[in-house]
Amino acid sequence: MILRLLAYTPFLDPMPMPGGMWWLTLAPLALGIAVVYKAIKLDDMRRYNKQVAMMTTQIIVVMVALAIGIQLVVGWLTPLLGG
Amino acid sequence: MTHHTIHQSADERFNPVAGVLAYLLPGLGHWYLGEAKRGLLIGAGVLWLFFGAVLIGGIDSVDRVEDKWWFVGQAGVGPIAFAADLVHQTQFKVVDSRGQLQTPPPGPDAKASKSIGHANEIGSLFGAIAGMLNIMCVIDALWRPRIDRRVRIRSASASDGAPA
Repeated sequence: MILRLLAYTPFLDPMPMPGGMWWLTLAPLALGIAVVYKAIKLDDMRRYNKQVAMMTTQIIVVMVALAIGIQLVVGWLTPLLGG
Repeated sequence: MTHHTIHQSADERFNPVAGVLAYLLPGLGHWYLGEAKRGLLIGAGVLWLFFGAVLIGGIDSVDRVEDKWWFVGQAGVGPIAFAADLVHQTQFKVVDSRGQLQTPPPGPDAKASKSIGHANEIGSLFGAIAGMLNIMCVIDALWRPRIDRRVRIRSASASDGAPA
């Protein structure tokens, strides 16, 4: 992993991600979406920062809830139904 | 009278110059319409996502030839996406053993390496979302009234008793 990090050239090579940590990229993705969407949507820009924070949180919370739901179905319900 | 006023305003709002500028550089269309802060935020958000794509997935996450359908979404970012693809196609691809132009696998001689797995998927996704969001911004810029004109429309609507 350390060697991969040392060999990494930003913007040219794919970013080395420690196993299972790729989902952390959800946070900057949600932030970017909220920044652009609220910039178009809001008429009153005084509420912008609060609205962006709220939308970012909503996206992350819903994605985590979906992941937990799918994990419950795949890891618990499906084996239970399968006997 | 009210309907007549609203109809005229909608026609008056169409602004192809703002749409073209919004596509050429994310946020420029809104800047042109007199909304500099909105334009800056749009530019920052779209470019954050697009350069995030290249940072996470490497230059290989923008590839018009090998990832055509991802590039359809990424192309919405505008000339920046086409420039990134051009640099990728001309500077970093090599001819492989089958005679095809490919981004090389990781190695000491590779100037950029092939993006695979989660890094490639997430990089491609960031870029495609950036492009689709910018298309939304282009559409918004096409029909958003200039800030000075909007004040006039609001004043006219207020005097007619219609909602702005």
